[in-house]
Amino acid sequence: MTQHSTGSSITFDRATKTYPGAATPALDALDLEVAAGELVCLVGPSGGGKTTALQLVNRLVDLTSGDIRIGDRSITDQSAIELRRTIGYAIQQSGLFPHYTVADNIATVPAILGWDKKRIRTRTAELLELVGLSPVETWLPRYPAQLSGGQQQRVGIARALAADPPVMLMDEPFGALDPITRVAVQDEFLAIHRAVGKTTLFVTHDIDEAIKMADRIAILKPGGKLAQFGAPAEVLSNPADDFVAEFLGAERGLKRLALTTVGEIVTAGTTSPEGAGADASITTAGWPDVEATMTLREALSVVSAARAEGAIVHAGGSRLGEVSLHDLIAPPAAGEDREGVRA
Amino acid sequence: MSDFAPPGDPAIPDYGQASDCVINNGAFCTDWFISQWSTVFWPPLLSHIIMVAIAVSIGFVIAFCAGLLAYRKKWLAGPIGMAATFLYTLPPLALFQLLVPFTGLSLLTVEIALVCFTLVIIFQAVLVGLSGVPDDVRRAATGMGLDRNQLLFKVELPLALPSIISGVRIATVLTVSITTIAAFVVDDGLGSPIIKAVSSPFNTQFVGAGALAVLLAFALDGLLVLLGRVLTPWTKARS
Repeated sequence: MTQHSTGSSITFDRATKTYPGAATPALDALDLEVAAGELVCLVGPSGGGKTTALQLVNRLVDLTSGDIRIGDRSITDQSAIELRRTIGYAIQQSGLFPHYTVADNIATVPAILGWDKKRIRTRTAELLELVGLSPVETWLPRYPAQLSGGQQQRVGIARALAADPPVMLMDEPFGALDPITRVAVQDEFLAIHRAVGKTTLFVTHDIDEAIKMADRIAILKPGGKLAQFGAPAEVLSNPADDFVAEFLGAERGLKRLALTTVGEIVTAGTTSPEGAGADASITTAGWPDVEATMTLREALSVVSAARAEGAIVHAGGSRLGEVSLHDLIAPPAAGEDREGVRA
Repeated sequence: MSDFAPPGDPAIPDYGQASDCVINNGAFCTDWFISQWSTVFWPPLLSHIIMVAIAVSIGFVIAFCAGLLAYRKKWLAGPIGMAATFLYTLPPLALFQLLVPFTGLSLLTVEIALVCFTLVIIFQAVLVGLSGVPDDVRRAATGMGLDRNQLLFKVELPLALPSIISGVRIATVLTVSITTIAAFVVDDGLGSPIIKAVSSPFNTQFVGAGALAVLLAFALDGLLVLLGRVLTPWTKARS
């Protein structure tokens, strides 16, 4: 990989946008600091100004007042065109050019920046590998119409990463994908994000997606006001106000369980593999098997479906231990009550 | 029989061999068509092609520029569209009549009229093609830092090509047809043998020239379809 730049911070400094003819601002004095390398999800109902906030960064929309800085440089210090070439941009429906092949789509910004052909070719192949489209020779000459929705979105991400921008803006990039493809592409993007460390601002209307993807979540409410900004667990545990609580939904307790994997609480020592002795095997009889990579929420669903009192945890084919129903619903890793640990 | 007319000398001049088909003025005499190709059919066909090519080329340039202008300045789309539609609704013969006092019985008169009829079709095709570029594609292109010209030449125009080419196809076929009427102004094009044969009347000549006009329309249309395939390979690409 030739990923060198890690990322730059993005700072919203009382960023305000009022569209012409509108009585109230679409985004009202947003203060937000996205740390270098962080993935922040902007969520909220329509009219919350989340897409406006995103498009202010690459100046598809102009600020009414306030400022936005990338690193320590204001976005208004350079021309909008130059600025955009240093920002990766991926959108819903991928926005791929239907008349360009996969290779040409990914090469769009490098070609504009005047990279030589050899460098572009190397970079394109490298990116296709990164987003999981290999062997690359199969994919390079294809047109977007020849790809599935998930493949198009992967190419869209590769294109956004092409010129190695320090900052990525993603506007509901997975919004149009079917649930199964969506989960797969989310997982891949998380892996890519960990690998390349781009500062990412990610707009979604799907709170579950935000909980899964984000280091921190910024919840915007109608009128373009920031309702809460914090880590997913924090937001789910302590909603700042009624709006946030309502937005997170009645299932927010369950959503919080999606932040922890079964493997984490097993290895945390809440249950011990040695505990599976002669008498323990009686109590675990009929318990379903779960993978260590499953979230507590998923495992709970499996346990509930089996009408059991717990589950047996496996990792890579070998038995890791058990988790009881109580461990699942009140995990010490994500919860407060520590007395729940089995005696 | 008088001495002045020796036996063997025909009283009626011999105009040469004519087939039964020609003598009976059959619907279409292939032998006559072939023997008269180089004098009766080929020269008008060639001048027909030239007149169509000039009209469509000039019409394309004007309508293309007007289309771009209307796309950039939306308020111009209405007035330009209305002017072009007005020109299109004029009866061709009336338009020739209108122009003759100014430009005479000339090729110029013919071309001005022909160009007028191509404008609205190509103009609309350009405008529809450009407006049909998906918003997400335009937004992605802008967001990635393409400037206005790059957006137009790298993204918008290529994506408008299928629409533009179908507009040019319709305009071309229409112009092939209208150009036959140009024979009322200049003694050129396939309309010329048709008009003469209709008044004689001699079937093979107007059937032959008429058929050539139809075939020419098909041929030019086919060429433009091929051109479209070459220029827009992505439209045929399916997994």
